[in-house]
Amino acid sequence: MLTKKIPSADAFPFAILYLQSSIVSAMQCEHCDNKATVFYTQIIDGIGKKSCLCESCANEQGITDPDGFLLGSQDIQNQGDPSSSEASPKIKVSIGKPSNRSCPGCGFAFDDLKKTGRLGCSECYDFFRNEIKNNLGGMHKGTSHTGRVPAGMLEAFRERQELEKLEEKLNKAISSEDYEKAAALRDEIGKITSQDTTPPEQQTKP
Amino acid sequence: MMRFSTLMKHPADWMTGADTDSAIVLTSRIRLARNITGAPFPGWARKEERIKILPELRDKVETLAEMKDAFSHQLSELSSVQKQVLVERHLISREQAARSEGSAIVVNRNQTLSVMINEEDHLRLQSIRSGLHLREAYQLITSIDKDLEQSLPYAFDHELGYLTACPTNVGTGLRASAMIHLPGLVISDHIGQVIQAVGKLGLAVRGIFGEGTESLGHLFQISNQSTLGESEEDILNRLERVIQKVREQERNARSKLLEEDPQMLADKISRAYGQLKYAYVIDSKEALTHLSLVRLGSDMGCFPRETMKLCDSLLMDIEPAHLQHKADRKLSPEERDTMRAEIIRSRLQNLTSPVINFIN
Repeated sequence: MLTKKIPSADAFPFAILYLQSSIVSAMQCEHCDNKATVFYTQIIDGIGKKSCLCESCANEQGITDPDGFLLGSQDIQNQGDPSSSEASPKIKVSIGKPSNRSCPGCGFAFDDLKKTGRLGCSECYDFFRNEIKNNLGGMHKGTSHTGRVPAGMLEAFRERQELEKLEEKLNKAISSEDYEKAAALRDEIGKITSQDTTPPEQQTKP
Repeated sequence: MMRFSTLMKHPADWMTGADTDSAIVLTSRIRLARNITGAPFPGWARKEERIKILPELRDKVETLAEMKDAFSHQLSELSSVQKQVLVERHLISREQAARSEGSAIVVNRNQTLSVMINEEDHLRLQSIRSGLHLREAYQLITSIDKDLEQSLPYAFDHELGYLTACPTNVGTGLRASAMIHLPGLVISDHIGQVIQAVGKLGLAVRGIFGEGTESLGHLFQISNQSTLGESEEDILNRLERVIQKVREQERNARSKLLEEDPQMLADKISRAYGQLKYAYVIDSKEALTHLSLVRLGSDMGCFPRETMKLCDSLLMDIEPAHLQHKADRKLSPEERDTMRAEIIRSRLQNLTSPVINFIN
């Protein structure tokens, strides 16, 4: 049995990785049907989260990259800097295979985030949405915005959130074979989306 | 428009401890990060792109009612000492001080509001208040933000909220912090526990000056880390609760020191007074340490109450760029140490020896 522990002394949350090549056979990868060979424990705020992945899914998530996946790591040098008057953690990012996709808005490639810790433009968030979301873990309290919304965007924002909630309910209803409820939910969603074709009401104050 | 010399001559109220209750919490600060949709973030933009967007942003900021007769300059118009002075006054960040053309700073008349343009984000709105008044600072900044969103197309996403150059700020774009003076906790050696406890709540604590936990001048900053998945209200509530708790702990630590080791405390405060009053050469580390103790002494009744304001002004005035600005030339570290001692001596001229009334 081969156990490889990747040191990450400068990293928080601590990421400990065990690569086990032979012993485990019964486990299945969380993302596909292949045999899981990579067992990964990420400790965030003292709570361990275990993942079982196959080699290729693990590579894809960048877990096997020892330099990567140190998201939310504290920038130690930053601590004594009196001027920036801010303690924002620097981020280190890893993605799977090097990608040469770049943002159509500004030409930023996701790999650049590794170097700069910053994105290129607001469109990057849309273009690299999944990569960014995958790397947000542990950095923030949650994964979606619950704060203030600029006036004028409030209506659209609420609608979008409402839609997402309904879609989730719809999926649940379908999987529990509650077709009556599913039909009602579908109608509700239909109502909202058909309104979308008419211009949204101008909102002045939130 | 407000001139640099005017800005220097009239430091903001919050810089000199205006609040009656700034003995432990010196200042509260709120910062919002905002960006314009469709334009590259300043760090990624080419110089021409930064220069192009600047006048549009600057015009919107300057025409805010709050910014009447404001201090407004491009970073390229300021000397490096002037920029450094602004950093020492917490009006711009060190990051912005390193920038020049295509980046600007606009500060309102009473310096409670500063807007950095083309720093890490297109706009960084910042408001500072004396004492623990996060909400007041937040109210001002929100009213400014609401004005600006009428005319500027903010980058906003239905899922991730306000979009920022760095994903650590995405969501509310809100960083709230307070500067706190914790000599009691440091002297009684409880600061480590407090920092750890606060850290567990997802807040960051760091020294304002120097490195490590034994921060120079016993000054610390507590701020929120998370900006996504919580409302502004939640962030402020949590931070405020924790700061109040830390303030209480500091109060307890001070009472306990008075009770258990009044001699040691009297000795520290009196020596600090002596060193400051009679020094001819003093580096900033030594000065900060002693000023902190005199500040503590003032809270404990050893010095008149106004002494605290005196200490707060000195903390700022003895910083390197402030000294060089006053001297109007570049100073070597040795020259700075001499000048620092001179300023401190002259300010403490009328301060009489500490009254120690807590030893029976």
